[in-house]
Amino acid sequence: MGGFLKFFIRYLGARLIVCFLVIFVGVTITFLIPRLIPGSNPAEIAVRRLQMAGAYLPPESVEPMREALLKLYGLEGSMIEQYFRYWRELLKGNLGPSFASFPTPVVVLISRSLPWTVGLLALTAVVSWVIGTLLGGVASYRGKRLWVRVFEMFSNAVRPIPYYIFALTLLIIFAYVLRWFPAGGAFQVGIVPSFSSTFVKSVIKHGFLPALSLIIIGMGAWFLNMRNLASGVTHEDFVIFAHQMKIKESTILKNYVMKTAMPAQLTGLALQLGTVFSGTIITEIVFNYPGLGTLAFTAIMQSDYNLIMGITLCSIVAVAFATLLVDLLLPFVDPRIQYTGGAG
Amino acid sequence: MVRRSLWWLVVVFSVVGLVGSIALAQEVLPGVPRSEVIIIEDPSGRSLDPGRFNLWGGGVTSWSTGVQQVCLGTLWYIDPDEGIEGDPWINLLAAEPPIYNENYTEMTVKLRQGITWSDGVAFTADDVIFTVETLKAHPEMTWGAYMQVNVEEVQKVDDYTVLFKLKKPNGRFHTIFTVRWSACYIMPKHIFEKVEDPVAFAFNPPIGTGPYVLKTYDTNGYWFLWELREDWDKSDLGVAYGKKPAPKYILYKGIASPEKKVMDQMAHELDIIHDLPPEGAITLSQNNPYCVTWFDGWPWAHPDPTLPAVIMNHEHFPYNLKEVRWALALAIDMVQVALQAYNGCATISPIHVPPTGLYPGWYFDKIEPWLKEFTLKVGTEELKPYDPEIPVKIAEAVKYAFGYKIPDDPQEIKKLVGYGWWKYAPDVAAKLLESAGFKKDKGGKWLLPDGKPWKISILCEAATRSVMTRAAAAIAEQWRKFGIDAQIEAVEPSMLWTRMNYGEDPNTVYWAWCIETWGGHPDLFWFLESWHSEYYRPTGQTVVAKNPMRYKSEAMDKIIEQLRQTDFFKDQEKMIELGLEYIKICVEDMPIIPVFSYNVFTVCDGYYWTGYPTAEDPYTNPVPNWGNTRFMFIKLQPAEKK
Repeated sequence: MGGFLKFFIRYLGARLIVCFLVIFVGVTITFLIPRLIPGSNPAEIAVRRLQMAGAYLPPESVEPMREALLKLYGLEGSMIEQYFRYWRELLKGNLGPSFASFPTPVVVLISRSLPWTVGLLALTAVVSWVIGTLLGGVASYRGKRLWVRVFEMFSNAVRPIPYYIFALTLLIIFAYVLRWFPAGGAFQVGIVPSFSSTFVKSVIKHGFLPALSLIIIGMGAWFLNMRNLASGVTHEDFVIFAHQMKIKESTILKNYVMKTAMPAQLTGLALQLGTVFSGTIITEIVFNYPGLGTLAFTAIMQSDYNLIMGITLCSIVAVAFATLLVDLLLPFVDPRIQYTGGAG
Repeated sequence: MVRRSLWWLVVVFSVVGLVGSIALAQEVLPGVPRSEVIIIEDPSGRSLDPGRFNLWGGGVTSWSTGVQQVCLGTLWYIDPDEGIEGDPWINLLAAEPPIYNENYTEMTVKLRQGITWSDGVAFTADDVIFTVETLKAHPEMTWGAYMQVNVEEVQKVDDYTVLFKLKKPNGRFHTIFTVRWSACYIMPKHIFEKVEDPVAFAFNPPIGTGPYVLKTYDTNGYWFLWELREDWDKSDLGVAYGKKPAPKYILYKGIASPEKKVMDQMAHELDIIHDLPPEGAITLSQNNPYCVTWFDGWPWAHPDPTLPAVIMNHEHFPYNLKEVRWALALAIDMVQVALQAYNGCATISPIHVPPTGLYPGWYFDKIEPWLKEFTLKVGTEELKPYDPEIPVKIAEAVKYAFGYKIPDDPQEIKKLVGYGWWKYAPDVAAKLLESAGFKKDKGGKWLLPDGKPWKISILCEAATRSVMTRAAAAIAEQWRKFGIDAQIEAVEPSMLWTRMNYGEDPNTVYWAWCIETWGGHPDLFWFLESWHSEYYRPTGQTVVAKNPMRYKSEAMDKIIEQLRQTDFFKDQEKMIELGLEYIKICVEDMPIIPVFSYNVFTVCDGYYWTGYPTAEDPYTNPVPNWGNTRFMFIKLQPAEKK
């Protein structure tokens, strides 16, 4: 046990270093990119945003306004100074103000959208993973059953459809033709968010179609993936040996086939959960659903670099920690993987 | 086995029951009949910070949520079309137009009496003075720098009269308070005077002089619901016109997907669509019997007083050469561009003002005889490049390509798609280039005078306005056909404008706009002021306002200086005369290549509401992100019950 703990701590330490290194490099790159783009000065952008919108800014007022804004945004100092200042503030949890929505802090904007993104994407990712993985595993073992063939055909049919078209089709059928579900939004127009049953019902109803679109697409992919992985395992020697040992079919399926195929599926799920933080922009656009995707898109359209950096940072941290989590969990799922790094 | 099947049945029925019970509780706006609400698209999509309404403090990403349309008000409006009572000039918070002293160093404003803010406090001169003084003290606020540069002092003459003392003569000072899309709105003093930091203040709920108050909004930024004030008769619109706006509620709703907008309107759940790709608008027009568009048929769209153009930086060779700029214009087949970009629904302009609002009468009718005689000299040869037949050619092509119904009368066609454009004359364009030292290689491709291949990248908008991307692609195709290695580079609008304003991209021209006009007033100063060489900034420095081509001309400077001397109200004829001179210089020099007005496919649904502005009754601009649309609400009427 002492040996295991020693290996585990060494393994954890190494993985943590990699995780923080990924975050450090990611943050540095997201800091540098906007600053290296010509004309990305936020004061300049704020003036241009007004001009692009159509507001009249007489030429004699443009330069004084630009200078005043630069002062207001506190963007003094060299890039190195700004870099250290950025890290200092970041460690305090301050991502700075949004320039397009000045002076609202980036953290506030992200925290408003994050629950919707996490609620929708994390839930649908887990649901589609669970269904897809279970069905895929069973299908690999009972490949000749009718439901397996039907489901496989359905998954193969749905997979190549561009998500935008698929989501739009669902919308047309259920929102415009059958009128079972609303055409967009996170909740009914006019309702004030609260913990009332009306609000919760409205949220479920509005989230149903976007969730359904993500689950169907996601489930099909997980199903096919798991089926392919598990089909390979069913021909492995240890599975054939288990059959010859007359071990129960359900035990072989659960403990021999699915467990062996699980690491790749788990890694995929963890990475997908990590990318949840960058949002699903198409879902949000088609269903007018709030979330980080449209927030990031709007931030890009408005050249709001602080906000873009904030959202990117969330994604970097999430992916780095998701990867770390997978690295730590895999040895529990698959005994062939050990914290020593060797094969079992 | 039976037990397991039963279990599955229970599960299936539970899921169906749950979903069904939620779905069957079909919702409309809670407690509000649909017939009392007008639903309008907010083209900004999603507001990043929906709880912020402080337009002066900045940080408001969408100005199309109703705040500038139905809540805040200002002194004057100029309608881009004919105006609600047939006069585009509208006194809203002001009782009359501004009164300048002789040398334009003082401006007196008389305010309307009887207007109250939406919280019941009276609107007075104190509000105007407070607005100006607050902005003057904060140059970082929108319009703040302008007040600081121009206003020496602002005085209260009485409760309803304000005197502005200006730092220097400025006969256009009032335009900062005159809405063309937007303008400096008046702050409620009684709200802002209690605020420590007017920049950080969210101004939520917004208090305005307009006829509507904010009822509720989506904390996610997708919709904003406004309710008619009970004391609407004391609002700016109520006092100015005495007419009650018909919609009790206005819902501004951000919708990103064009397909969704079309489906929403087909289902009568969206009354006004801001803009659509041509196909979307035409589909609606053909399939929704209640559809209302600016023109009732081809070309459907409303021409905005904005002029998309090919903008070339004159500090980059070869765009410093007039011959090259003209050659590029003559290498464009406008019929093809109009067809590819706009399904033939473009309102074309050969001159450097948009062919919209009242400009056809003020400028186009007057300049056309000169255009017909205008001669381009290429060596010893001469060409009259103006082709007045292009609208008819577009109409014929449209009829052939799309089968749209077009009028037979060329004069009617002219009203619909413009006056004419430059001849498609690649042979003359070639001669112009050859006169500047250009040559063609064996493959028929143009080479620069130094023998290197001539490459052009057209930087244009991607995704946001499909017609702009398509027009850029069509122009590039024309130039490739002519033998130039031309491609498009489609980027986000903010990137396009950034790069255009710095002007540093080699081999790049920009497909954007820098000419915008009032539409309802002939003064060109709004955009032309920044063409004066005093505002010129070299490549690498961002341009101050609307001269990204870095054009410098002594003759143009003189026109701008003379325009400065004109009186905005008394000297309209002189302004038009100077405007015509400006057009002639531009035609000679071709500093940018004007193409067409930005036609907006604003599509209205007459199922619940009627009385939308159209070309037949052009009382205002229907494009809902304009502040000027406020006047639409007193003309709208509920439709008959279906």
